[in-house]
This record gives sequence, structure tokens and C-alpha cells, in this order.
Amino acid sequence: MKQHTVIKNSLITAGILGAATGFCFLIQEAAESDTHVPLLFVLAVLFISRFTDGYIYGIVASMIAVVGVNYVFTYPYFAIDFTITGYPVTFIAMLAVACSVSALTTQIKKQEQIRLEAEKEKMRGNLLRAVSHDIRTPLTSIMGAASVVLENYGELSDEKRMDFLKDIREESQWLIQIVENLLSITRIGDNGGSASIDKQEEMVEEIVGSAVLKFRKRYPDVEVAVRLPEDPLLVPMDGILIEQVLVNLMENSVLHGKHTSKVEVSAEEEKDRVVFYVDDDGAGIRPSALPKLFEGTFRQGDEESCDSRRNMGIGLSVCMSIIRAHQGDMKAENRKEGGARLSFWLPMERGTDQWR
Amino acid sequence: MVEDDKRISSFFKTVLESNRYDVIMASTGSEAYSLITSQCPDLVILDLGLPDMDGMNILRSVREWSSMPVIVVSARTHEKDKVEALDLGADDYITKPFGTSELLARIRTAIRHSRAAFLNQGGAPTGTFVSGGLTIDYDKHRVFVDGTDAGLTQNEYKIVSLLGKYAGKVMTYDSIIKEIWGPNMKNDNRILRVNMANIRRKIEKNPAEPQYIFTEVGVGYRIVEPD
Repeated sequence: MKQHTVIKNSLITAGILGAATGFCFLIQEAAESDTHVPLLFVLAVLFISRFTDGYIYGIVASMIAVVGVNYVFTYPYFAIDFTITGYPVTFIAMLAVACSVSALTTQIKKQEQIRLEAEKEKMRGNLLRAVSHDIRTPLTSIMGAASVVLENYGELSDEKRMDFLKDIREESQWLIQIVENLLSITRIGDNGGSASIDKQEEMVEEIVGSAVLKFRKRYPDVEVAVRLPEDPLLVPMDGILIEQVLVNLMENSVLHGKHTSKVEVSAEEEKDRVVFYVDDDGAGIRPSALPKLFEGTFRQGDEESCDSRRNMGIGLSVCMSIIRAHQGDMKAENRKEGGARLSFWLPMERGTDQWR
Repeated sequence: MVEDDKRISSFFKTVLESNRYDVIMASTGSEAYSLITSQCPDLVILDLGLPDMDGMNILRSVREWSSMPVIVVSARTHEKDKVEALDLGADDYITKPFGTSELLARIRTAIRHSRAAFLNQGGAPTGTFVSGGLTIDYDKHRVFVDGTDAGLTQNEYKIVSLLGKYAGKVMTYDSIIKEIWGPNMKNDNRILRVNMANIRRKIEKNPAEPQYIFTEVGVGYRIVEPD
């Protein structure tokens, strides 16, 4: 890998220097003076610094240019002669220009990288904030309920005690979901700035079936319908992550649909992709919320107050990162007959490992 | 029961004793190993994260001399860990956190398996396996759904009967492939997936909502418990 970049950078350096030399020869035929030569080589050094990694190539190129220009383009041609009048000044200046240009472009590249890093940090920070909010709320009710039972054990009726204990169990269940979502993020690798995952061919019916089974265990009262193509469908994916996406989407339908009684999961094969749909008969999504649904940034102010604890901001943004890492895409809309439809697609062919 | 966390082990002990199991506790790997060899329990619940050694080592050394049921409990959630434990001979794998009802159900299943395995030592299973509308006739090598022959091919029958032999337990993709196609089969899940898709089309009403054979994504397949 390292050797590979060295070869690549050396080739770029040689290529640009060669092109500059060739260009000088061409112009020399027409032009009377040779003042353009040093300028052209400074330009070449600038390009080299821009397209190679690190200082080294730009500086080496400028040295080659200084010696090369003397050797080829100044009288006596094809001989090194440092005695020409004004030569030292011209060429020391050229070396200096080349060096600083190369240093400058390298610095710009470094700053660009710092900016990218900062952006990533910001995203991570947003996610962490959303997560700690989502974790803190159920933790508060667990702690509260446990203290109430412990401190007022004798005064509470059996029924009340049971209620508090049930709350504790339910909130813990909710915490488990959050942790599961966080864990799935750790399965997405970081491959030189782009997300990468471990894809394997999975049978669509198995992933959907397994997700539906998990969902049924948690929400036995909600009716689930599954509609899949008749023929078995093998699609490259990280099965565990796609299962998590489906479970998240189904849960979202229930938690945000307010009166959802039926969820339908379906998949269709299109030309070079498989599209998954999760439809519900709930309240649908507020049109104003649609554009920022997948952002994952928590905005306390404009969340609907009814159930901000069940803010699935992270759930959806986790889904989005998973689907993007699969080189697919995701979309939310309201159905004409009422309720919401969330859909995502995955490419059928084994794509390259890198995304973007 | 091997568990180093005091709170978890105390709640385990309470739950198990209230269900009338005799419980022996161990909090380190070495203590666990000496207790397992001296007491020969009916079942071991093994936490993988122990202070003095990796729980997998205990599982490995127990499997050298005994087939006693071992249920692995772990906070490791990656399916690779699950597959490794199951392939090393664990009877079941529960990921923390879990509910007590789930733990008790798994314990019952594991104990029933060890009894069944004791009565039916080695060799192919005989008789029939019945669960709801599904019948596996081990003697005739046929599978029936609601009384009609499902018409499975030979390999499809082999897969179903293998799952039936270990009903309730997850069989890893690898172990199924080795058993059906032999050890030289390259580790390609595709052929197993396709066979399973065909089996499901023959025995399930809706392959995406199976009643009999379930998928543990990334790990393997499991058939329902017999009635």
C-alpha cells in the first residue's frame, strides 16, 4: 500500500516535469527569449505539490527543475554552467518560490483534512447528545420508580408496587433497544473516511421473517402482514444490520403512528435493486418533520410534546447510516390512504467495498 | 452456575431456587472447573467473561470428557462469538440482558435434550417428530405437513431431520453444511440458503413467517420443539 503511493507520486512528479519540459521545447521553436522557462517550471512544481502527498515531491521537483533548466534551456545547452550572469539570483528565487508553493499547498491540504475530521467529530457529538438524552430519560424513570418502591414500600398498595415494577421492566427494555442500535453502529467500519460493512448473501425472506418475529414478541397486539416475491431472493448485505433497520422501522410505526394497528412489510425486486417497504395505518408523519427525519439531531423545541421520550431520532439516523453503508438509500412519505410509508433499497450486485 | 458479577449471580440463584433447582455457584474459572469435575452437575450456566480466564476455555475442556449441557451467557453480541461457542459444543447461547422466563425456558430445553440424547445415543434418530402440523418420520425418511407428504428431496430431508434431532437448539450454518455435504464442502452458505428456501416453500404457509423452522440471522437455523 505504502509502496504503491510512492510509485504513484513519483509517476505524477515525472509526468508533470516531462510535460513541462516538452512544452518548453515546443515554445522554444517559436519564442526568441527563454524567460518563460523558469515560470513554466514553477507552474509545474505547483501542480506537483497539489497532486502528490507531502512536501517531498514538490521540493525534489523544484531542485530537479533548477538543475534541469540550467542543463537544458540555458546557454550553453545540455551542459551545467553556473557562471551565467544573473543565474544565481534567478534560480535561487525559483527554488524559493517552488519550495514555498509546495509548502503552502501541503498546508492547505492538511487544513482540508482537519476540517473533514472536525465535521466527523461534530456528527459524533450530535449522536452522543441524542443518545445521552435518550438514555437519561428511561434511566430517570427507572431510578425514580425504584426509589419510590424502596422508600414507601409499606404505604404503597400491591397494585401500585406492581405498576412501578412493570415500569422499571418496560424502561429497561427500551434501554436495551437503544444499546442495540448503538451496537449496530459499531459494526459499520471506517474505511478511509467512507463507511464499509461486511456483506454476505442473505435470503430476504429470512431477514424479514426474523425481524417480524422479534417485532411480534415485543408488540403482540399489532397486526403484521408480510408480502414478499414468490421466488427466493439472495441479496448481499449485513443481515444483522438490515434486520435491525426493519425492526426499527416497524417499531417507529407503532411508537409514532399513535393509533397504529397494522404494519405491513413488503419487498420488491427492481432492475438492479431490492426495495423494502414498511407501511402502517397510523397518523402519518408531519410534513414539516419529513425533511429532517433522518438527521439524528435532537431538537427539543420542535419535537411534539406528547412523547418526546420516544424520540426515535437515533433509531432513524442509525437506519440511514446502515442503508448508506450498503450503498442504498432511504425515504419517508405519507400514504394517500393514511399512515406512513418508509422505504429503502439495497443494490443487488456486490458493489465495491467503498461508498461515495 | 459460573458468574463473577455478585448481583447477577444472586438474582440467578433466587430465580433458580424458587423454581426448585439445586444451585452451586462459582465466581472464577478455576473454581468452576474444579466444581464441575467434582460435582458433575446436570447443567452448567457459563458466563464467558470471567476474571481469571476466558469462559470458552472451560467449555473446551469440559467438552473433552463430558456432554453435559452447557448454556453460555455472555455480553458479547457479535454473531461470531455465538457461532464459536455453539461450534465448541455449547448447547445454547443467551446474550445479556435477558429475562428470567427466557433463561428458565432455555434451561428446560437443554435438560430435555441431554435426556433425549442419553436415551437415543448416537446414530440416526428413530420414530417420529411431531410439532403442530409438522411430522418428521425418521423411519420412512419422509416429512409430512398436515398429513400430506411435503415431497422433500434427499438433502432437504437430511437438513430437516438434522434440525429435528437437535430440536430447539440453533444449528450453525457450518455444522449443518459439514453434516450434510461433508467436511470438504467449501464454506459456502449459498447452497444451504437455497435448500432452506425450497424446504420452506414446501412446509411453511408463508416462507417469510415460518412456523416450524426459524432463522437466527448470522448464526444458523432452529426447528420448533416437538409437542
